[in-house]
Order: sequence, then structure tokens, then C-alpha cells
Amino acid sequence: MFEIGLILLSIFMVATAIIAVWFKDLLASTISLAAMSLLLSLYFYMLHAPDVAIAEAGVGACITTALLVITIKNTERMEEEGGEEE
Amino acid sequence: MKKAIIFVVFAAFLFFAAYEIHPFGELDDSRMDDYIIENAQNETAANNVVTSVVFDYRGYDTLGEATVLFTAIAGALVVLRRVKNE
Amino acid sequence: MSEERMSVIVTTIASLLFPFIFIFSFYVIMHGHLTPGGGFQGGAIGASAIVMLIVAYGAREVYKKASDEKLSIFESVGGLLFVLVGILGFILAASFLSNFLVGEPIFGNIPPFGSNPGELNSGGILPLLNIAVGMKVIGGLASVVLIMALAGGEKK
Repeated sequence: MFEIGLILLSIFMVATAIIAVWFKDLLASTISLAAMSLLLSLYFYMLHAPDVAIAEAGVGACITTALLVITIKNTERMEEEGGEEE
Repeated sequence: MKKAIIFVVFAAFLFFAAYEIHPFGELDDSRMDDYIIENAQNETAANNVVTSVVFDYRGYDTLGEATVLFTAIAGALVVLRRVKNE
Repeated sequence: MSEERMSVIVTTIASLLFPFIFIFSFYVIMHGHLTPGGGFQGGAIGASAIVMLIVAYGAREVYKKASDEKLSIFESVGGLLFVLVGILGFILAASFLSNFLVGEPIFGNIPPFGSNPGELNSGGILPLLNIAVGMKVIGGLASVVLIMALAGGEKK
């Protein structure tokens, strides 16, 4: 059961990370990164490291998200087309 | 061509390292752990052994971490602080 | 972020939630030697409470209450407290950061061996160091986010 939970969490984390790269809407990809941080903190909690889980939930899911949202608010929300040619 | 060779060599090195890695969750020398688990509550009078390691046995590391935080924040404030006279 | 505050619903909920999150942060800091958590974790929670206010009310409103100068002074006091406790250990006991409060009446009760609920009045210098690191992290992270929001708002 424990192993299945860990594997499911890993799959969700990889999925949210891929979504974060995929989206053109930067706000949506920031929210996706926050979801990945939250899943990572749950992963740490399941691996018996509650200290790291609290730190990850505080820094990764809140402060990083707020910094990125502030940055997006002051620049552009949509990613420019043509950045992917190469 | 050169890049491909470097990539293959590096990937082979990483695969070798991942193959040779220590098995997850097993330890082969536990003298330090046994000492800390048996004596931490007496020596530091704290119930949370993780905190007593972080702040007492490895207090210098925490001091260094605090210094890193201080330096990073000082740099950010110096770069981004508003000019008062404007 | 210079464009004013968000809607009334968001600001009301933020100002309702702020004291609870801050008290939880103090709880995590003060119980660092008993439960999981400690200075850095509690400080990150407290800084996230201030960041929530910044996002909801805009950086100018928060700047009037807690400017980044005040927050960085708060952070520096935390760092000084940490070094001061270390030097006190150097003077009163064997070496730098040595736990000189074990066995003393304040913060010095030694818990029994094994798992037990514990009490707040134990831990030696660990609660003091937790408070120092917590002040440092609250001031530091909040001032970085505040100064970034202010600097971004100026450009427009």
C-alpha cells in the first residue's frame, strides 16, 4: 500500500511538472508548480520527514508562488509564440 | 559529434553511479545514530532529537545557514531598494 | 502591484486568517524542541502570512504598517540574538554554542528517556535559538517579497 502511494504520488508530481512546462498561460503553470510543491511535501511526510515537509509547504507552495505571481503581474501573462523554434 | 560522445560518456557515468548507489533506507555504520539517540535527551534536554541535532550537535551548520540567508536577503535589498529622495 | 487591493471578499478573508496563521507560526517556533518543526519552518509560515497580506492588500498598504527597514531590523536582531547566545555559551560553559542551560531552572528540565509528551520548560538553549532563527526567517522572507512587490509596482 505504502509503495503504491509513493508511486502514485511520483506519477502525479511528474504530470504536474510536465503541465507546468506545457502551458502557455504562465499563471496556470505557476499554480501547477504550487501543486507539485504540495505533492512533494506530502511525499516528504510519507517518508517520515515532517520537518522538511513543513518547510517545503511553507516555502515552496506559498512564497515561491507569491513571488512568481507578483512577477507575472508586473510583466506579461502569456508566453510569447516563437520561443520554441530551435 | 563531440557533444554526442560527451553525452554518452556522462550518461554511462551516471548510470554506473545509480547502479552503485547505497540501497535505500539501509545503513552500514550506525555508531553515530546510536550515540545520538541514546544521549540526546540527556545532553540537550529536548524531546525532539532532530532539533537537538540541528541546533546543538550541528549548531555551526545552522549558523552558516543563517549567514547564507542574511547575505542573500542583503543582496536582494541592496539591488531592489527604492531611492528615498525621489 | 501598485494597482490597489483585490476585492472585498479576498481582503476580508485575508485579514480574518492572518492572526490564526501567525499564531500557528509562533506555536511551531515555540514548540520546536518538542514537535516537528522549528525556527525555519515556523518562520516560513509566518512570512507566508505576511505575503498573503501583500498579495491581498497590495504592497503599499503593507509598507505603511511594516516597512522593509523595520523588517530587516527585525531580521538583524534575530541574527544578533543567535550569535549572542553562542558567545554566552563560550563564556559560561565549554565552547561556542554549547548548551549551558541544561539543568538550570529556566528551560533546563531534562525529560525522561524514551518517547514522552514532554514539557515546554525544557530544551536548554534550543528554544532561544529557535526564536532567533524564526525572527530571522520571518523578517528576511517577508522583506524580500515586499521589496520585490514595491520595485515591480514602480516601473508602471
